Amino acid sequence: MKLLCATAEGDRRAFNELYRLTSGKMYAVCLQLLQRKDLAEEALQEAYVRVWHNACDYHSDKGSVVVWMVSIARYRALDILRSAAYRREGRESDLEQSDEHTPEDALFDQRDRVRIDECMDTLEDGQRQMIQLAYFRGLTHAELTEHTGSPLGTIKSWIRRGLQKLKRCLEP
Amino acid sequence: MNYLTEERKNSLSSEYVLGTLQGRARLRYQSLLIEHRPMRQALWRWEKHLNALGAALPEQTPDASVWVRIQARLGFIETPPDNVVAFEAKSQPENRWRWLAAAASVAAIALALVLIRQPAVVTPEPSQIAVVQGAKAEALWLIELTESQINIQATDQFSPASNKDYELWLVSADGRAPISLGLLPEQGRASLARSELFDQVTVAALAVSLEPPGGSPTGSPTEVLYTAQLVAM
Repeated sequence: MKLLCATAEGDRRAFNELYRLTSGKMYAVCLQLLQRKDLAEEALQEAYVRVWHNACDYHSDKGSVVVWMVSIARYRALDILRSAAYRREGRESDLEQSDEHTPEDALFDQRDRVRIDECMDTLEDGQRQMIQLAYFRGLTHAELTEHTGSPLGTIKSWIRRGLQKLKRCLEP
Repeated sequence: MNYLTEERKNSLSSEYVLGTLQGRARLRYQSLLIEHRPMRQALWRWEKHLNALGAALPEQTPDASVWVRIQARLGFIETPPDNVVAFEAKSQPENRWRWLAAAASVAAIALALVLIRQPAVVTPEPSQIAVVQGAKAEALWLIELTESQINIQATDQFSPASNKDYELWLVSADGRAPISLGLLPEQGRASLARSELFDQVTVAALAVSLEPPGGSPTGSPTEVLYTAQLVAM
C-alpha cells in the first residue's frame, strides 16, 4: 500500500519495488489465461504501464492492492485472449493441448486455497467447473458449450446460479 | 428493465469480471458503469471476490526483459534496447485487431474514413476513429482521434434536440468516472483537445450524453445516449 502511494507520487524506486513484489502473481494470472509466454509478457507489461499511470485511482473499495492489480492484468489478458489475432492463431488447438496438462495448467492446480475456494466447494459440480473454466481459461459461453458439450442454456444457468450462490456465501 | 436492482447489478458485474459478459450486453454494461456509481461499486466488489482466485495462483517469474520494456515504455530509460523496438512494433497490430474485433460496424467505419479524408489535404494518418451511431445504426458523428486533437464531424442524419447540448466522454476500462472531452458540434466540424488520458488508460468506449446548454452541470454525464468504440486504423 505504501509502495502504491509512493508510485502514485511518481517514485520510480517504489514502483520498481512494487514490481518486484507483485510481478510473480500478475504474471501467473496472465500466463494462466493466455497459456503463451510472449502474450503473457505483453499483457504484464501493459498492466504495469497502467498501474504506473493509475496508481492514484486505487482506493480500498477496490480490494487489496494485489487484487486491484490482478484485475488490471486480467482485463488486459482477456482483451488479448478475445482479440481476432489470438483466435486466428488457433485457440482451439491450444485448448486441446492444455487438456493434456501443460505446465500452465498445473499453475491452477497448485494455487493456494483462499476464502472464495471454500465457497466454491459449496457449488454444484457443473456450476463450479464452468466458473473455473471461465475464470482461469477465459472461456466464453459459446466456448464452454463447445468444450463441455452441454447446451448453452445449461451453461448460462450454471454460471448465473453459481455466481449467485458464491455471493450468498461471500457476503452473508 | 430496471438495471439497478441488487440482483441485476450483481449478475451483470459478476459476469463482467468473470469475462462471460460479451458483445452488446458488455457495451450496455459499460455505459451503465458510466452513469451509475452503485454499478461501479458492485463491479469493485466482484473484482475483489473473483480476483482473489487469480491472486492465489503460484508466482511465476517473468523474464527480466519485461521490466526493461516497462521502463522503456514509461520513458524511464533513454534508449530502449533493440528488442524493445521490435516488440513495440509487434504489439501494435495486436491492438488494431482487438479494436477491429470490437467494432460494431465495419461499413460505418469505412464511411467515416471516406468522409474524414474528403478534404484533399495532406494530413497525418488518423490514429483512431469512432462512429457514433443512433438507434437505427445511422451514423450521427464521425470522430477521429489524432495525436494532438479530436476531430469531429456531425452528419446530416443528426437532428439535435432544441435547447440541449451533446457532450462527449471518455470511458475508461478501469471503472473510474467518465471524463468529459467537451461538447460535440450539432452541425459541421469541430475539434477538441486530446485528453492525456487517451495515453494513460484503456479506453473502454466513448460516450455521448444529452445535457442542458453548456454541458453537464455536475461533471458527470446527465443522460448517456450513445456509446461508440474507438478503432485503430
